[in-house]
Formats: sequence, C-alpha cells, structure tokens
Amino acid sequence: MIEVSHVCRQYALSKKQKAELQTTAGSLNAVNDVSFTCRPGRIFSLLGPNGAGKTTTLRMIATLLLPTTGTIRVNGLDVVQDAAAVRRKIGFLTGSTNLYERLTPAETVKYFADLYGLPSAVFKERKEKLFTQLGINDFLNKRIGQLSTGMKQRVSIARTMIHDPEVVIFDEPTSGLDVITAGGIIDLIRDCKAAGKTVIFSSHIMSEVDLLCDELAIINKGRLVYSDTMEHFRKTSGNESLTATFIRLVQGSLTPSAPKERGDS
Amino acid sequence: MNTILTIFRKEIKTTLRDRRTLISAILLPVLAMPLLLLGITKFSKRMAEKEAAKELKIVLRHAPPALAQQFAAAPGFTLIPEMPLPAARDSVAQEVYDAALDFNPAFAQTVDSMGAGQVAFYYKSTNTSVEGRVEKVLDAYKAEVLNKRFERLHISPALLEPIALQSIDVASQQEQIGMLAGGFLPYIFILFCFMACMYPALDLITGEKEKGTLETLLTTPASRFQILIGKVLAIGVVGVFAAVMTIVGMFAAMRLFEGIPPEILHAINDILSLRFVLLLFGMLVPLSLFFAGALAAVAIRASSFKEAQTLISPMMFVVIVPAMMALMPGMRLTWQTAAIPILNIALATKEITAGTIHYGQYALLVISLIVAALLAIAVSVRQFSKEGNILK
Repeated sequence: MIEVSHVCRQYALSKKQKAELQTTAGSLNAVNDVSFTCRPGRIFSLLGPNGAGKTTTLRMIATLLLPTTGTIRVNGLDVVQDAAAVRRKIGFLTGSTNLYERLTPAETVKYFADLYGLPSAVFKERKEKLFTQLGINDFLNKRIGQLSTGMKQRVSIARTMIHDPEVVIFDEPTSGLDVITAGGIIDLIRDCKAAGKTVIFSSHIMSEVDLLCDELAIINKGRLVYSDTMEHFRKTSGNESLTATFIRLVQGSLTPSAPKERGDS
Repeated sequence: MNTILTIFRKEIKTTLRDRRTLISAILLPVLAMPLLLLGITKFSKRMAEKEAAKELKIVLRHAPPALAQQFAAAPGFTLIPEMPLPAARDSVAQEVYDAALDFNPAFAQTVDSMGAGQVAFYYKSTNTSVEGRVEKVLDAYKAEVLNKRFERLHISPALLEPIALQSIDVASQQEQIGMLAGGFLPYIFILFCFMACMYPALDLITGEKEKGTLETLLTTPASRFQILIGKVLAIGVVGVFAAVMTIVGMFAAMRLFEGIPPEILHAINDILSLRFVLLLFGMLVPLSLFFAGALAAVAIRASSFKEAQTLISPMMFVVIVPAMMALMPGMRLTWQTAAIPILNIALATKEITAGTIHYGQYALLVISLIVAALLAIAVSVRQFSKEGNILK
C-alpha cells in the first residue's frame, strides 16, 4: 500500500536554470500537491510527458528525495521518519539503471541480498527460484559487462526481487528496451500483481499502460490532472483513442482551469 | 557494520577486476623505484664512461714543450697543430675541436722566474667533462712546477699543509641510507598513494553516479553514511597497498643493484625490521584515508568522469608541494613540522629509516593525520548526504 497525500517537492533554481526556464521565480515545484493511493494486488500507473514529475514522485516514495510538504506512507510507514524500514519493503527498478559491469549476475544478486540482510537459507531459495524463472543459470558466472541488454535486464529483475519486496516501484522500466526484452518486464509486473504486491510504474507510453494497469494517474508539470481506474478512463475516452484522450487531458491542464479529476465525463 | 563490510568487500572486488586500477596501484609503484634507481644510475654511469673515453681534440698555442708533452702523454687527447687564435676559437665554438689553450708567449719565462704564467682556456661549458679533463692535466703540471720551486727554495711541502685533516664519519650506515633514500622515498610513495586512490575514487563514486547504479544502491536499507564509509575504506586500502608496493619496490631494487657493498646490504636488512614496518603503517593508513576522504568529497560533486578529473587534478599540487618541501635542506622533523600532514610523513620517513625517530613527535604526526583523515571523511559524508550531489 502506498499513500501519497498532498505532496509537494520544491527545487531552488540556480541563475542558469532561471535563464533556461525564462523565469524570475526562485524555486520550482517539480511536484505540486499530488495525492493518490496504490493498493496491494492492483497495478497503479503514473502517466505523463517527459519532465512531468513522475521520477521525482517515485524517488520520494523510494526515500531517495524528501518531500517538501505532504506525507507519503508505504505499508503504513512514513518515508521520512522510517526511511530505512521503508527501503526494506520496496523493490526499485528503473529503465536507466545499469548494473556493475565487473561483477557476475550471481555476485550482483548476492550483494543486494546482503544489503537487505537476507538469511543465507532464504537467499539460496529465492535465488534458485528467480534464476530458474528468469533463465539466468546459463550465464551465472559471466561478467555483466559481457552480457546482452536482454540478459542484463533479467539480472536487474532478479536484483530487484531478491528480497521479495511487498511494494515494487518501476520508473519507466521499459525505456530503451526492444519489444522482446520489454516483454519480460511486463510479465514481471503481472506476476507482482498476482502475488498480491503493491505495484506502481511510471510511463509515457499509453499502450503499455493500457496493457497493464488497474488504476491510472496522469501527471503534468507536477500536477495531477487525472486519477481514477483504468476502466473509467476507457469510458471517458469513448470513441477517441486512449492516447488522444491522454494528450487532450495533458494539454487541457495547461489552461488555468484544470479539469476536475473524477466524474467529469 | 555488516553493511559497511558488504559494501567494502564488493568495492574491493570490483576494483581488483579493473585493469586501470591494477596498473596504478600495483604495477607502477612496484616498478617506479627499481626503474628510477637501476635505470638512471646505470644510464648516467654509462654516459660518464662514454664521456671519459672520448678523444678530446685540443689546440695548444705557444705551449711550453713540457706541458705539450704532458698533454700528448695523457690518455684521450689529440693535439692539433698551432693555428691563429680566432680560427682556434671558432673551431671550438663550432665543436670541430673540444678546447684551445692560448699560452702567453712569456709563459715559460714567467713560470721559471716564479711568477704566474698566463693562459686562456677556450671551451664550451655545455660539453661536460672537457673542463675537468683539461684542468686535470694542467694541475699535474702545476704540481710539478710547485715541487721544483720547493726544491729550489729548500722548503718542505708540509709547510703549506699546516692541517692534516682526517675525517671520520660516525653516522651509521642506516643513518646514511636514511639521509639518501629517506628524503626521496616518501616523495615517491606519497605520490603513488595519492594516484592509486584517485582512480578508485573516480570509479566507485563518480562512476557509480554516472552509470546510475548509485540510485538503486540508495533504495536498499544501506544508509548513505554506510555506503560512503564502505567506499572510502576501499579507496584507502588501495592507497596503502600502492604505497607499500613502492617501498617493496625500492628495497627490491637496492638488493638487485650490483656493486652495493655488503655492509650497506646488511644495513638495509637492519632497516627492514618489524618496528620499521609498524611505524610506516601507522602513518600510511591515516594518510591514505585522508586522501580517500578528500578525493571522495570532490568526486561526489562531479557528475561525470571528465568533470571529476578536472576537479581532482589540481589536488595533486596540494600533495606534491609539502612532499617536496621535505627535500629542502635543513628541513627536519620538529614539534611544528610533525603537525603538518604530508610534510610530516616525508620528514618522519627519513628519521625512521635512520632509526632516529622521536616517538613523541611520531605520536603527534599520527594524531595530526588522523584528525585530517576524519575531517576529510566528515566533509565527504556531508557532501554525500546532499540530494543534489548523489542523484543525476
């Protein structure tokens, strides 16, 4: 369970950044009064264009960044007060993450298991299950630097899931991957749902969201412009394509009167 | 503690698998001293031999026959027939001939009447050894003339030597080696210690940030403090290792060096005692951690490898300057210099090698290094806890 309530994240702007953004304001709200809830066994998707604030939101949930105001709870634990406890419960996977090139898949997974303090019997069992499931046993002791992108992605998944996290956070997990490799991630997200985990993933691709998610939040320029079930979104969309509705919602949010989030169809 | 150890072990593993680190931490330090000692001494010896064996072409003008004969008899001289002075001078300038001696026409007469005969010596100071070799022949002639004069005046040569000086060096072999190698050795091992820390600092901190692996690491239960300490310890260990390798390399070179008298070899064995090793480690460990902390603090600020290199390069001067100051004459380990990091290590190594270290000053030195290391690590921990520094 992830409960995000009235979260803002402010960044102070440097002179250079002010010039780039053509603004005189001293700070920028990357995330502005965002609230949503992700429930166990449901896939929650955070959709938005580049620079909308998706990564900032997910990083705050993962305790990497502190919210300026508002609260975030993961399985009832506050991300600021109980950061270490929250980190034990989460698995975090981003599309841009690399692995340690000079370690082997076996060493990488062992390293993370040690950081999570997994007892060795539990580690052995989890490792065998994941490695068989993901087909990592064929290249177990090869240096990661010598592996293909697809193989690396499988190792990343094993690394994320080794401690059997209750909450899994995916930050644009398929970006830069081919369809086949991305398929592995899609399967993983579905498995997480089946296992009753809380899943949140960010994306800027509507088709991916359509394939997976149960709940949808659309974010633009740090503000939430839509938050409801996927089912409801499909209804809202009507005859229009889902992408067209997404674009309309995002562009609509640029005008001063942002649309109401619920029941405006 | 377990988490720090997990991080430390992983960082050491990845570092040992990196060829660039291996070269800068093991290969270069081990080879540096043998190459410097054996290579340069052999090379300069060979050059000196070559110079000494070279045939010198020398023009003598109005030379007294006795002296001309001495030049002809001295090995390695070819006499050139007399020629006008400007021509002789030009040919020396153009290196056709090596030197010209223009004796005053009244030279022999002046010398015979107990005066000082005048002679002009044309040579090029850029051609080393010419001056010395010509003067040697002239000195021999001078000694001959003096002896004749003493005889004529019935004076004993002892009259001119009222002091019979007998110098006895009571410095032990160990102290002499300490003076010679003790000044130079720390300069090299401090430098290698720093350079060896440099690459892992870039790789383990900026590299991990650049590749994006740091973000994942930060989502694990390991705290930022634990992550950084694990990394700094790994960097520090590489630095200590490189410094030890430099010292091992030097002692190996001294043993391999041909023509070292057995008493010096014996003295080297005396220096390499457990006490020496412990005293050296006592300084190297905090020094290396100081370097690791300082480099980490800078590496965290950089967002790319290139930027980190630009930021770190000037730090090299901060290391070299105090290490070089220790080579200046008159610099010794005192209560004041013992408190200055880097300079104190360079000075103390001399004393430790010579076996004359003052333990109170040594303790002050170690304390000053530990304080410097803790400060550097504290700064890096502070830098590492800033969100802007650790996330892209």
